[in-house]
Amino acid sequence: MDSYKEIFQPFGKSSKFIFYSLAIGLLLIFGLFWHVTTSSGLIPKPLVVLSSFFNIIQTHDFIEHLFKSLGLTFEAMFFSIIIALIIGYLSVIPFFAPIAKFIVKCRYLTITGLYFIFILLTKDADQLKLSLLIFGIVPFFVTSIVGIIACISGDEYNSCRTLGFNKWETLYEIIIVGRLDQTIEVIRQNFAIAWMMIVTVESSALSGGGIGALLYRYNKYNDLPNVLALQIVILLIGILIDQLLAQMRKELFPYTQITAKSDY
Amino acid sequence: MEIFSKKSILLKAIDVNLEYNGKKILRDINFEIKDIVRPNMLQGQVISLIGRSGIGKTQLFKILAGLNQPTSGQVLVNPSQHLVHPGDMGVVPQDYYLFEWRKIRKILEMAVAKNKAIKPADRKDAIDQYVNDFGLKDHLDQYPMQLSGGQRQRVSIIQQLINGSNFLLLDEPFSGLDAVSIKQVIDVLIKVSLSDELKTLIIVSHDLLNTLAISDCAYILGREAGKEGATITHTIDLIEKDLCWKPEIKKTIEFQKMVADIETLL
Repeated sequence: MDSYKEIFQPFGKSSKFIFYSLAIGLLLIFGLFWHVTTSSGLIPKPLVVLSSFFNIIQTHDFIEHLFKSLGLTFEAMFFSIIIALIIGYLSVIPFFAPIAKFIVKCRYLTITGLYFIFILLTKDADQLKLSLLIFGIVPFFVTSIVGIIACISGDEYNSCRTLGFNKWETLYEIIIVGRLDQTIEVIRQNFAIAWMMIVTVESSALSGGGIGALLYRYNKYNDLPNVLALQIVILLIGILIDQLLAQMRKELFPYTQITAKSDY
Repeated sequence: MEIFSKKSILLKAIDVNLEYNGKKILRDINFEIKDIVRPNMLQGQVISLIGRSGIGKTQLFKILAGLNQPTSGQVLVNPSQHLVHPGDMGVVPQDYYLFEWRKIRKILEMAVAKNKAIKPADRKDAIDQYVNDFGLKDHLDQYPMQLSGGQRQRVSIIQQLINGSNFLLLDEPFSGLDAVSIKQVIDVLIKVSLSDELKTLIIVSHDLLNTLAISDCAYILGREAGKEGATITHTIDLIEKDLCWKPEIKKTIEFQKMVADIETLL
């Protein structure tokens, strides 16, 4: 009984079983609420959407669009990571610091407002989408990397200095190697942004296909069951990749799973 | 009294002043540490810098380590008496900072790689010897987070020793430790001080009893009436008082009286 009281208290102890039970319960309540409140017929009922979901994932067209989107997202992430890491790491060098600051500010620019400029600068639809995604992701990625670097305490740099490390060695050890685990976490967060953006970008440039284009098509014909089914697919793939990146962080950086010894 | 002599100057602080935003933090700090020589044994130096919390000990600590520059004055180190640079002094900070993403073995390998006196082929043996001496042999493949506070402190000490520094600056090494752990730390520090003639430990602490018990000289950092900034108000030569190099010194009445007297000076 006490364990049930705990789940309603701040910092209360819980278990995985309770967590998943609560999550499934919440999902069922949401499904029931959805089912009951959609009697008008405008919004499809959950079972209709579920049926569309199973239909859609079996179509060859969908698989093709999905892989197109995934490929583009990974490609954009790859280039964004490289660009953002270089800019982020170089931000500790005074000469390059203004570049990082400028890129950070660029996150307030909208993709839609620069869409035409990008059309003029790129050769085809694929290049246009890739450029838009990179332009959208990099400022957020650089902001996170610069934030991580800003949180490093002076004691860490001092420790390297007392060990006789030069400035480049200190940069390598403390900022690059020492923060790799946090970089993976940043990649995880930014993948969500990229995955969200891909739909917008693909629905802006339809010729190359992708789930964004598919979503646009379903929306155009008011095919709500398929629109919502596609939303479920997008959500599930996002969660799956998020989990994969979290697992990757655990495997590559086992020290992130260790909790400090409290006894002396 | 023990037979000893003081030879070459190992460290000299000359007119060290420190100001922040026009406010004087440290004023006219002058002291020197000489190589203590005792016949038929290796005898390092253990110096304590004692003062109340907030007096400016950490600022002086950073200046001595070469991490911060004084507003005026200088710190000269080693028999060559050159200006102190980061890396001249081994530093063991209060929180025993270590590279959390590296295993202990790698941390020590990185430290020994910077020691020009140890050939690459001998580095592994040097690490093995230190971890054996400091009781850390079974922890080489662990991450710092897997160690207790005392073990982290010992890794931090080895890291600086194996790095090749003769000086070891320790910031509050007894802070937050229980009696058993303090005893272990004291044993480790004595062992280090007896390992080489030039080994010099500078302990910055407000723990009078434990710090003085292993010191041969103590400098009291305090403020003088009507003057801004902390300076060395008293120098206590424990060798001259014959209150040094004795294992059970803490139990003696003379030592306890001296500690009580110093407490009134803070």
